[in-house]
Amino acid sequence: MIKILVNRMQPSKADIAKRQDFNYILSALPKKNLLYSPWFYGAMGFSSLAGLFYFIAAYS
Amino acid sequence: MTPNLSNFQFSSKPEDDMILIERAKQNPAHFAPLYKKYHDAIFRYVFKRVDEEEAAYDITSCVFVKAIINLPKYEYRGVPFSSWLFRIAKSELYQSFRDKKAKRTISIDSVQIGRVMEEFSIDENEHKREILLKVLPLLKDKQLQLIEMRFFEKRSFREMGEILELTENNAKVKTFRALIKLKALYAQHNPLK
Repeated sequence: MIKILVNRMQPSKADIAKRQDFNYILSALPKKNLLYSPWFYGAMGFSSLAGLFYFIAAYS
Repeated sequence: MTPNLSNFQFSSKPEDDMILIERAKQNPAHFAPLYKKYHDAIFRYVFKRVDEEEAAYDITSCVFVKAIINLPKYEYRGVPFSSWLFRIAKSELYQSFRDKKAKRTISIDSVQIGRVMEEFSIDENEHKREILLKVLPLLKDKQLQLIEMRFFEKRSFREMGEILELTENNAKVKTFRALIKLKALYAQHNPLK
């Protein structure tokens, strides 16, 4: 059932402003997952190739 | 790092919002001026529709978290940024009602009741007011939203359309129908017709 409030007291502009918390909004942002970033693939690719070349050079 | 907002001048031009939005897309910390600008309006929108003040603050925070997450997808297509935020607020409100975190409430004052009675061309008295308050929750939720926005919040049809994702004309027609429905419910419940 919907509740009806007549002539309800509204918080003042100053009270509402006091409750602003932008740091909370920022902290709620999901953290970037480095695992699937281009940097991750780049580094993995580079080190794999380096390892492969090293392996070929060492055993040929 | 949060930018210093002490000397920030707010403007209501959509172009100015767009500059802030583009900056915030690059760095979420630059969303702060938009948060400061719209926090009060979004809180009041939510507060009028929930029974507890604390729940209204929580829902308002959720609105801005959702907004900052979805900001990269925001594109200006004639709908002002404020309406985009109100749309998020509307969906967050309904999520809270579904999760039973808040109770659907209509906050109304005597002036607003008078405005609706004026629309009905009926003289205002205590008994008639009580009937109106009794029949308001009997409207379908979509109709109630239209009545709330138009008569209790004095929004334009254009703005209502932007928030409810309707055309301006459609908002006008649907509000008119909601008013007819409310009038019929009022007549049904008024023994002294």
